[in-house]
Amino acid sequence: MGIFIFKRLIHGLIVILGVTLIVFVVTRMVGDPVKVMLPLESTQEQRDAFKKQLGLDRPIPVQLVNFLKDIARLDFGDSLWQKRPAMEIVFEKLPLTLALTAVGVGLACVFAIPLGIISALRPGGALDRLTVFGSLLGLSMPQFWMGLLFILLFAVQLRILPTSGSATPSHIILPALTMALPTLARLVMLVRSSMIDELNQPYVKTAFARGLPFVRVVGGHALKNAGLPIMTLIGWEVIRSLAGYSVVVETVFAWPGIGLTAIQAIEREDLILIQAIVFTAAISVVLINIAMDFIYKLIDPRLKLT
Amino acid sequence: MKQYGFLAVMAILMAVVFTTGAWAAGDGITIALGSEPTTLDPQIREDGGERAVNDNIYDTVLTRSPKGELMPSLAAAMPTIQDATTWEVKLRPGITFHNGEPLNADAVVYSIKRVIDPKFNSEQISFFSTIKDAVKKDDLTLQVITNGSDPILPSRLYWLKVVPPVYSKDPKFAEAPIGTGPYRLVSWKRGQSIELERHEGYWGKKPDIKAVNYRFVEEPGTRLAGLMAGEFDLITNLLPEFTRQVPKSVNVLGLEHPIIILNADSGITKDVRVRQALNYAVDKEALARGLFEGFAQVAQGQLLSPSFFGYNDQVKAYPYDPALAQKLIKEAGAEGATVELIGTSGRWLKDRDLVEAVAAYWKKAGINANVRIFEFNEYLNRLFDRKTRADAIFVTASNELLDADKSFSAYYKSGGTGASNTDAALAGLIDAARTENDVKKRTGLYHQAVKLAHDQAYFVWLLNIEDVYGLSKRLEWPGRVDARLLVGEMKVN
Repeated sequence: MGIFIFKRLIHGLIVILGVTLIVFVVTRMVGDPVKVMLPLESTQEQRDAFKKQLGLDRPIPVQLVNFLKDIARLDFGDSLWQKRPAMEIVFEKLPLTLALTAVGVGLACVFAIPLGIISALRPGGALDRLTVFGSLLGLSMPQFWMGLLFILLFAVQLRILPTSGSATPSHIILPALTMALPTLARLVMLVRSSMIDELNQPYVKTAFARGLPFVRVVGGHALKNAGLPIMTLIGWEVIRSLAGYSVVVETVFAWPGIGLTAIQAIEREDLILIQAIVFTAAISVVLINIAMDFIYKLIDPRLKLT
Repeated sequence: MKQYGFLAVMAILMAVVFTTGAWAAGDGITIALGSEPTTLDPQIREDGGERAVNDNIYDTVLTRSPKGELMPSLAAAMPTIQDATTWEVKLRPGITFHNGEPLNADAVVYSIKRVIDPKFNSEQISFFSTIKDAVKKDDLTLQVITNGSDPILPSRLYWLKVVPPVYSKDPKFAEAPIGTGPYRLVSWKRGQSIELERHEGYWGKKPDIKAVNYRFVEEPGTRLAGLMAGEFDLITNLLPEFTRQVPKSVNVLGLEHPIIILNADSGITKDVRVRQALNYAVDKEALARGLFEGFAQVAQGQLLSPSFFGYNDQVKAYPYDPALAQKLIKEAGAEGATVELIGTSGRWLKDRDLVEAVAAYWKKAGINANVRIFEFNEYLNRLFDRKTRADAIFVTASNELLDADKSFSAYYKSGGTGASNTDAALAGLIDAARTENDVKKRTGLYHQAVKLAHDQAYFVWLLNIEDVYGLSKRLEWPGRVDARLLVGEMKVN
């Protein structure tokens, strides 16, 4: 076990370092933040002076060495755009995205697992067809558009929910719902197909023949055995949301999380903040992957962690 | 399990119904901005969100009427010229900051020195770069010293927000600003909102509205939805196509001018007949109607709005005359030639649509435009490229100082960051105007520059875009030419 964790951490470090290095190179290749930050009508002298102040005139290797030192201290310096420590911004925004992801993916699980099981019990039945149709619909509607539809219905027409922002708990309902629907759609299809496979296994028939209660056979044995792919998908959905897919939902609902901040940092070519965000995203992806491995082991003790 | 989940959601929904009834009610108003301020230090950033909020917390030395005329604000009178490089400013007596610090010559001198200090590294430096120093004369009088003569100094003082000398050194200053303005900060919840309340001890006219709540919504569709749901009283940058759906809208001729810079030094656009033809070829009125639903005016052959210093009302837009355009192009032997037209997408309102529409008009006149739309940074590389100028570059110029110097130095004057001509006579006029302290002579110089550039057709002047705001039914506000959201000028029914 100890060796396993050690190995995974080493792999993780390589991934994190690789990703941040790529971001370092790419951000410095594509653009010059000074051009975007100062008004268009500024003179070249003003731009040069500003660049010098920010330390962006130094040779790339020097910047790289400083950057690596920064990573080691977990301090990326001040965001060019917000003029305060980039990590402070990340820690301020990350909880909001975590909350949105937790509620969104949670909501998806709560509905997807029962719906998927019910569909699998009677493939081809009315409820099954309705579920499949609904998932296709959920997958094909662009999230952006779906979010705006929700706003129009619940906030503008019915006026029971706020359009945007994050001030009260009621503000999370619409963005979480928008976040949940595509996840729900993907998850329900997976639960359905894995459960159909499991329910046709001989051991299920044996269990029923032995007179075990229905709930225990389906919920206990079959669901647990179908659990691995389901957990993989749930983990993937969480990673997806943390690593940037929340940006659409956060933009539509003005939810000030890490996704919205990332897109704003990119628009403003804030190299420092982009680095901090990517670094944090890389760490969460690595950590979630390690956590997923442990969950696999819990579900199926036969698995060997190597 | 499923049923319980559904019940829980319903219960939450019901609870919300009772807690979120009246959004925008009471004596306060809610304004939705496109972006959150990154700091509330009024001197460090060039940031629309910060300006929108701080324009109400801080006063400037001079201000402008809603129509754009400069007038004294913290100053008791308009500044006077002592000699070519010295301006004298007298301040109003008896003004204090919200924390009790006195507003006097020391505070103004301090604010000037702070913003021009290279170590402070202000993004606003382009507004103040001509200022060399400031010295106190007596408690309420100070002198501003400029590098060479600087007739635009009053416009610069209109930009200068005065900060309290003692408190501004506090590390909390950027989060909890203290000014002399009609509103004071109550709270700033990062990512959520900024709240201001009326400062009862304000020295000027007492505002009607008691409190302001700022919200930050980047997506225009969501801002619109918030206005229609009654959450917001004022939204900025309303898309023209939505004006019919909102309770009320206000439109004011703004500071933005989309133009196309033509290369006067090489290629077929070197021929003045071709440049004129490219102007005649474009139906500007159709662009204003079709793309902007009428919320734009045809630019009168100059990079200035009527409210700007230097506007020449004798110069008019090139009329739409496709036949003349074709004739001129034939004469120049440029028929069927191709020009490269550089643009970007999503930076300015309808930027890409304008470029594509212009290309279609040019094609009708016999010039093929090779439209190239770049990502903004790559686009800037081409706009700022001093070595090889593209044939035609689209840009939306903006001018917050409302004075010809800024736009002309950047786009008209040979060697300017976005200029594509090497007209020494034009550059001479702009240089002369830059240091001419006599208002009449200076006006004359700009009138000549405007006429010269117009006749030489160095640009295709397209439109002057109107700022469009969406308002709730109860809010009364006529708008301002300088786009400042001064809550003190708003009223609630």
